Amino acid sequence: MPDSDPYAADRARLVAALSRTSGGDRSALREVYDLTAGKMFGICLRICRDRDAAEDVLQDVYLKIWKRAGRFDAGRASPITWLSAIAHNAAIDWVRSNGTPQIAAASAATDWQTEATCEQLGAFETLEAAQTRLQLERCLEQLGPQQGGAIRAAFLEGFTHSELAVRMSVPLGTMKSLVRRGLMHLRECLGDA
Amino acid sequence: MRNGLTRERDAMAAELALGVLEGEERAMAQRLCLSDPTFAAAVEGWRLQLGVLHETSADVPPPTGIWPAIEARLGAAENIETISKLSFWRRSAVASGAVAAALAVALLVPGTPDVRTVVLQPDQSAIAQLSGEAGAILAVSYTPQAGRLQIRSVDLPVSDLSPELWLIPADGVPRSLGLIGAKGTTLIEVPLALRAHLTDGAVLAVSLERAETAPHKAPTSTPIAVGKISTI
Repeated sequence: MPDSDPYAADRARLVAALSRTSGGDRSALREVYDLTAGKMFGICLRICRDRDAAEDVLQDVYLKIWKRAGRFDAGRASPITWLSAIAHNAAIDWVRSNGTPQIAAASAATDWQTEATCEQLGAFETLEAAQTRLQLERCLEQLGPQQGGAIRAAFLEGFTHSELAVRMSVPLGTMKSLVRRGLMHLRECLGDA
Repeated sequence: MRNGLTRERDAMAAELALGVLEGEERAMAQRLCLSDPTFAAAVEGWRLQLGVLHETSADVPPPTGIWPAIEARLGAAENIETISKLSFWRRSAVASGAVAAALAVALLVPGTPDVRTVVLQPDQSAIAQLSGEAGAILAVSYTPQAGRLQIRSVDLPVSDLSPELWLIPADGVPRSLGLIGAKGTTLIEVPLALRAHLTDGAVLAVSLERAETAPHKAPTSTPIAVGKISTI
């Protein structure tokens, strides 16, 4: 992990664009879009697992950003984490209200159990966000491939309890308690900070 | 207890943020988000905590048609102005602390309603269509000579509260035009003092309010429908 902050300038540009967006500047939203649409579309697509749906959700995401940009607090989260949360929620909302995507399609998804911790900084990632992320990755690793992988897959690809249970061939109740105990481990492992 | 929540509730907040909940469990957690600010804050905290995983997730370039579609949906420039006029509304609704009313509406309308304009019809000199995200639709027509405003309610949400019509002129301060029927057409004689404000670009909005104390000085909840007046 580099100890400099190579993305500081890009990030400052993104934060400034978000700030201007909150003042109703459409060209600022365009800039936010240009800087982040690839990231947001990746999130929508992995969760919706349907290209048309992901495109519709992506539109919704930027309309939400347009309305909520004023609530972004750089002291609380990195801009990408904050924006990603909007995309994640919008995509999950779509999937949950439009029926379960094909489990079959999910089998082609990434194998999160073997996914290695990413040592590189993400584009725009703050050093602080990177440290939080590495700590979270460490906590997930402590859970082992099944439990940690389930949580990672749930978050990054939008699996429900039942989908995880089917994928990992365990009873639903077992899956629920695996996830819950995993989350409570994360809570302890990450501390209150 | 953690963050003011029981272990059970904190776990539920984490599960909602993670996205694994479905069916009734998800609905229950979402209801809690609306009714319990502590729970909602815990969900937001988990979202940001887990959200760092997205920092390094893979980008997928979206197709080129998306931005134009977004821009089209942002609506005309004057709608932005309309939304900023509603900022008074949001502030006053928050400041009023009318939690019950605000919640009843929040369930129906998360966020600011979309602002839409107008279907022109030849026999009326001003008209607006009010609509909100929850599907509430109202059609308004106004005859300035008579100072008479007709409003027809379609698909208003069922509520113990009553719909109250507001006129928001350029100064951004809502003025009550009184209660309207939740169904059918209501005829309103607009007070002389307010007629001058019923001009092009003024905003009409409907919020749900307590009938006993109407008309009110200011709305206590988020509008369920908003529209802009256009003259012919």
